[in-house]
Amino acid sequence: MDHPYFPLLILFTLAGAVVLGLLFVAQKVGPKSPNPVKAEPFESGNPPRGDARIRFSVRFYLVAMLFLIFDLEVVFLYPWAILFRQLGLFGLIEMGIFLGILLIGFVYVWKKGALEWD
Amino acid sequence: MVPLDYYLILSAVIFAIGVIGVLVRRNLIVVLMSIELMLNAVNLTFIAFSRYLASMQGQVVVIFVMAVAAAEAVIGLAIVISVFRHRRTLDPQEMQLLKW
Amino acid sequence: MDASVILFYVISVLLVLSSLMVVFLRNVVHCALALVVALFLIAILFVMLHAPMVGVLQVLVYAGAIMVLFLFVIMFLNPTASEPRRKLWWGFGSAAALLLAASLAALLSNGEAPADPVTATETFGSPETLAKSLFTDFVLPFEITSVLLLVAIIGAVVLAKREP
Repeated sequence: MDHPYFPLLILFTLAGAVVLGLLFVAQKVGPKSPNPVKAEPFESGNPPRGDARIRFSVRFYLVAMLFLIFDLEVVFLYPWAILFRQLGLFGLIEMGIFLGILLIGFVYVWKKGALEWD
Repeated sequence: MVPLDYYLILSAVIFAIGVIGVLVRRNLIVVLMSIELMLNAVNLTFIAFSRYLASMQGQVVVIFVMAVAAAEAVIGLAIVISVFRHRRTLDPQEMQLLKW
Repeated sequence: MDASVILFYVISVLLVLSSLMVVFLRNVVHCALALVVALFLIAILFVMLHAPMVGVLQVLVYAGAIMVLFLFVIMFLNPTASEPRRKLWWGFGSAAALLLAASLAALLSNGEAPADPVTATETFGSPETLAKSLFTDFVLPFEITSVLLLVAIIGAVVLAKREP
């Protein structure tokens, strides 16, 4: 109760409750008149063709993967930035080595053409 | 205040559920997700001990575990993709080329 | 009963339920969404344990990035063949896991852990204290993490990039 983040929990709970409540009310109260044309996927008025569940290209996956790795890099940068003044030169060298090693990976990815889309 | 034991028992239960997933499921993606669940159970133990021993080291270890988990997910899923390209299956039982 | 204990019970029931859904649901996408819920609940537990920074990172890295990656792979592979179900395996696996949970719980709750937590100082768990510990006590693991990430980058590109 006296936890500093307790209001945040109340906010999340209320947000979830409101969303679920509105969905429930819309489901129960809203009038429904289904017909097959309404259920069709919208393709600018043309009759839909093919399956909606096509396979994604592997390029999306590569981008997501590289995003995850560099996201982790930022995870370490954030606490470092908070403490930057206290750490001084030591912190700068420390983070320099860290980023230098990851820069090798970045250059590799770039040279290998994993960031190209074609 | 919640006693430390509660957190430890909860974490043991979550870990065991993850073990069920690894042992029983026959879909590589779900097996990887169960491993993530097990890592998180261990993270919970670290954070609980960090709080109850008033030491920051547990929290730092959890950040490293997150880095390892992300690297594991990236490499594991890349292996899943390349296995799927060659064998057209996600069933770990089918991958027995190295089995003696 | 204390309010935080009630909150703990609510969260742990939800957490066990969502973890069971990860393991037992048939549809892989549903498993992934249940895992997102489980990770979010664990983040709430982290914040309750005075680790707000780790809790936020949990949501950002795990529930955000890692789960997006999992969903990408599920969409990419689009597995349509349903998984064969073996009764014997489920029984064996569940029995082994129950045994493990029982022994782990007995082992973990047996220790000399303090019943009353050490009174945490005002700044305990704040990003500053976390950063101080991370960049002074854990310098070497921090640098080695960069090598780990480098290996992950190279491995991912080698494994997943289709040769032209």
